[in-house]
Amino acid sequence: MVHQQVLDRVFASLADPTRRGILIRLGEGPATIGELAEPTGMSLTGMKKHVQVLEDAGLVVTEKVGRSRQCRLGVAPLDEAMAWIGFYQRLWARRLDGLDAYFTLQPGPKGQDS
Amino acid sequence: MTLDMRMTRQLPATPEEVFDAYTDAEKQKVWFSILDEQPGIVEIEVDLRVGGQQTAVWGPSPDMLFRETQTFVEIDRPHRLVTESNGASPDGMTMTTRIEVTFEEKDGGTLMTVVQSGFPVPEVRDFFVGEVWAGAFARIEAFLAREGGTELADVE
Repeated sequence: MVHQQVLDRVFASLADPTRRGILIRLGEGPATIGELAEPTGMSLTGMKKHVQVLEDAGLVVTEKVGRSRQCRLGVAPLDEAMAWIGFYQRLWARRLDGLDAYFTLQPGPKGQDS
Repeated sequence: MTLDMRMTRQLPATPEEVFDAYTDAEKQKVWFSILDEQPGIVEIEVDLRVGGQQTAVWGPSPDMLFRETQTFVEIDRPHRLVTESNGASPDGMTMTTRIEVTFEEKDGGTLMTVVQSGFPVPEVRDFFVGEVWAGAFARIEAFLAREGGTELADVE
C-alpha cells in the first residue's frame, strides 16, 4: 500500500493552515520565501521553517537562485504510485514483447510448442 | 482517486493461442524470458481457476526479486481474464491493483489489451487534486506518454 513514512510526513505537514496556504500559493507558480512571507506578515525565519517542513515531506522543492530561495511544488506523495506504474509499464512491455516474439519466432505452426 | 494504466498490442496468433500462452506456466517461462540474454524469471506457478493464484518471482539477482501474486477473479477463455494483483518490490513495498486482460480477434490475429487499475493516490487527494495539483496530472500524463505506448486515466 502507501509508503507509511511518506504519508506520515505528508499528513503532519498538512496539519498546519499556514502550510496548506503555502501549497495553494505555490499551486499558482513558484515563489521565493520572501514572496510567501509577505502576505502572511510572517518573518522570513518563520516562513523558512514552514517551507522546511513541507520540503521534508517532499511537497515542496526549493532551489537557491541568487540571494533568494525559490520554492515550487513537489510531487512526492504521487511518487510511489508513479514508481509502481513505471515498473508495471516496463513489465507489461516485456510481457507483450515476449508474447509477440513467442508467436513470431516460434518454429512450426504458430503458437504451438516445437 | 486512483490511476489506471492501459496497454494494447496486436499479436500474430488466435485469441485461443494467445490466451493459452499467456496463462500456461510453462509457456510463460518461455516467452517471459525469450528476449533476455540471461533468464529473468526465477519461478512461476499457475492455478487457473476462479479463486486460484498465479505467483511469479523474477529479478536480476536473488536479492533483487519482485514477486507478483495474481488471484483469478474472472476467467472467460479466450476473451477475458480479470485478476487482483499484489506486487511486492525487493524493498518490501507492496501494491494491490486489478488487472483486466482482453483478447479480441482482429485482422487475423489478436488485439490484447491490458488495463491495470487502482494505483492509489494517497488520501490527501481532495486537498491536492482540488486546490493544489490542478496541473500535476497533466504533467504525469505527459511524462507517461513520453515513456511511450501507454494511456493513463485518472478515475474517481
